[in-house]
Amino acid sequence: MSGQMKFKQFLGKYGIYLVLVAMVFAMSLMSPVFLSQDNLLNIVRQVSVIGLISLGVTLVIISKGIDLSSGSTLALAAVMAASFGQAGDWAAKMYPGIPELPVIVPILVAMLVGTVVGTVNGALVAKTGIPAFIATLGTYVSVRGLALLYADGRPVSTLTASYQYIGQGYILGIPLPVLLFALMALITWVMLNHTKFGKNIYAIGGNIVAAEVSGVNVQRNLIKIYMYAGMLAGLAGLVLSARLNTGQPGMGVAYELDAIAATTIGGTSHSGGIGTIQGAVVGALILGVLNNGLNLMGVSAYWQQIIKGAIIVTAVVIDMRKNAKKK
Amino acid sequence: MRKILLSGVALLMASTFALGAPVKVGVSIANFDDTFLTYMMDGMKAYAKAHSSEVEITFTDAKEDMAKQMDQVENFLVQKKDAIIIVPVDTSATGPMTSSIIAKGAKVVYVNRNPGNLPKGAYYVGSEELVAGRLQMDFLGEKLGGKGNVAILMGKLDNEGALKRTAGNEEVLKKKYPNIKVLDKQTGLWQRSEGMQKTEDWVNRFGKDINAILCNNDDMALGAIQALKDKKRTDIIVVGVDATPDALTSLSKGELAATVFQDAAGQGGGGVEVAMKAAKGDKVAAETWIPFKLVTPANLTQFKK
Repeated sequence: MSGQMKFKQFLGKYGIYLVLVAMVFAMSLMSPVFLSQDNLLNIVRQVSVIGLISLGVTLVIISKGIDLSSGSTLALAAVMAASFGQAGDWAAKMYPGIPELPVIVPILVAMLVGTVVGTVNGALVAKTGIPAFIATLGTYVSVRGLALLYADGRPVSTLTASYQYIGQGYILGIPLPVLLFALMALITWVMLNHTKFGKNIYAIGGNIVAAEVSGVNVQRNLIKIYMYAGMLAGLAGLVLSARLNTGQPGMGVAYELDAIAATTIGGTSHSGGIGTIQGAVVGALILGVLNNGLNLMGVSAYWQQIIKGAIIVTAVVIDMRKNAKKK
Repeated sequence: MRKILLSGVALLMASTFALGAPVKVGVSIANFDDTFLTYMMDGMKAYAKAHSSEVEITFTDAKEDMAKQMDQVENFLVQKKDAIIIVPVDTSATGPMTSSIIAKGAKVVYVNRNPGNLPKGAYYVGSEELVAGRLQMDFLGEKLGGKGNVAILMGKLDNEGALKRTAGNEEVLKKKYPNIKVLDKQTGLWQRSEGMQKTEDWVNRFGKDINAILCNNDDMALGAIQALKDKKRTDIIVVGVDATPDALTSLSKGELAATVFQDAAGQGGGGVEVAMKAAKGDKVAAETWIPFKLVTPANLTQFKK
């Protein structure tokens, strides 16, 4: 083992963190307000919705699957949760009869809706054997339709103060969505690294036949993975609707792609069996820093898209080389 | 000869309608997800319901996909619709749809987004987008006392509404308010979440220098307001377009400074009316303009239902 080899290993393992640090450094040179506390809190809060989704997507991708339904799930969870969290004095309530409900009701509704959609995804993937891409493409379309149907195409607005607090509140100066994202990241990390379920996810993604032979209940675990991912998408819907004071059926379009991008930038491999939660968090932060930095610099909207696309592909190319060298 | 034949056909068509067969109208909407278009569809449904013996209406969702819209129009033609109402996904690509509909002898009515240069048998119902932008800037210019810095939140950059409303802003700015500066223009994709995010970044970037945000629609304006509330920057004036129920609520709370009422239901109902009359052979103007109106706290009650 030469020193150079170690350096390369170091780069392979921590390269993505270095990219984030380098980006933060570059942005701070180009925009004087970038490093202000206000702006940094801004970025982490902007990231938390996509971040929540990407935690679940990471598990799915490690198991060699994909989830295209997250954005639609977010929308359905948002409109349904919002319909149970409208303020009492609002005239255009969806259910005018019911009184103002405690905030736990919309929270549970959002999580439940997400979990149900996730269960459908998981069951389709595990029981029918159709590719996850197709299964979740189906729910991506249908669930968006359900959201439109449920809300009749309209925004479900004017939420109770405690509901809005989930998206707009602070605890000790830190925005609540950020805390929720951090909490869920921690829970997911523990689950992936220190439970049997986590080991099973890696096993299924690494070699599904070997996992089956060695006694892993593949079907059951697959369903659990998608359920969990759906639940997180539901939570993301709760946070976004609380932040915007509205649940809209057209919300979260293409968020699944941002989440997949964050996960991918973070080093989770689409060939299965490889990936980390901390990678997904860093990937989401990189996307957030990029979005925010480009806005602060006043880069035109057209260029922003081109640059973002290029960075996603570059990250994956680097990642593939890293994994190829391991073999 | 051909003329006689055509008028014969027209007579035949007119007589079938006179006998009471309702006019069959197919509607292709650019995107069901769009809040404004949902209210427009309400207007269409309401008109069709009030005239249920005369008109029969079917809706399809083009999902912002030009090719899908084309297919939907072709399906309508196969189903022998008498008139087709289109809220076009892309106004610059409507030519082929217009000509294939007219070639089949049906009428086409574009609503809300104007393709321009329409041939005979094609109609437009909508509002002049430039006017909305002018109304916004007139209001803001006065409110700022002719001095200050403004940022513009644009809709999707390939939409006529986004380009023309912004052009209307800039036209008034140039003519009447040389001392108001545009700090930046960015797209909020018509969405509340994007409007909020762009505003957060702007406030961090420009700090005390930013005085107002002009938004191409209300949803983005409400997103901007959400961001400003969090930043405790109630000094920044936000102006929207559409006068959606959410926006009017915000206006009544003193958050949104003004919006421009675009008569969604009026456009929708007007569209069906034009389609019905044109299909029956009545004389209809090629373009029907539904006026925009500025909504401020002073005249709010007129618009609140």
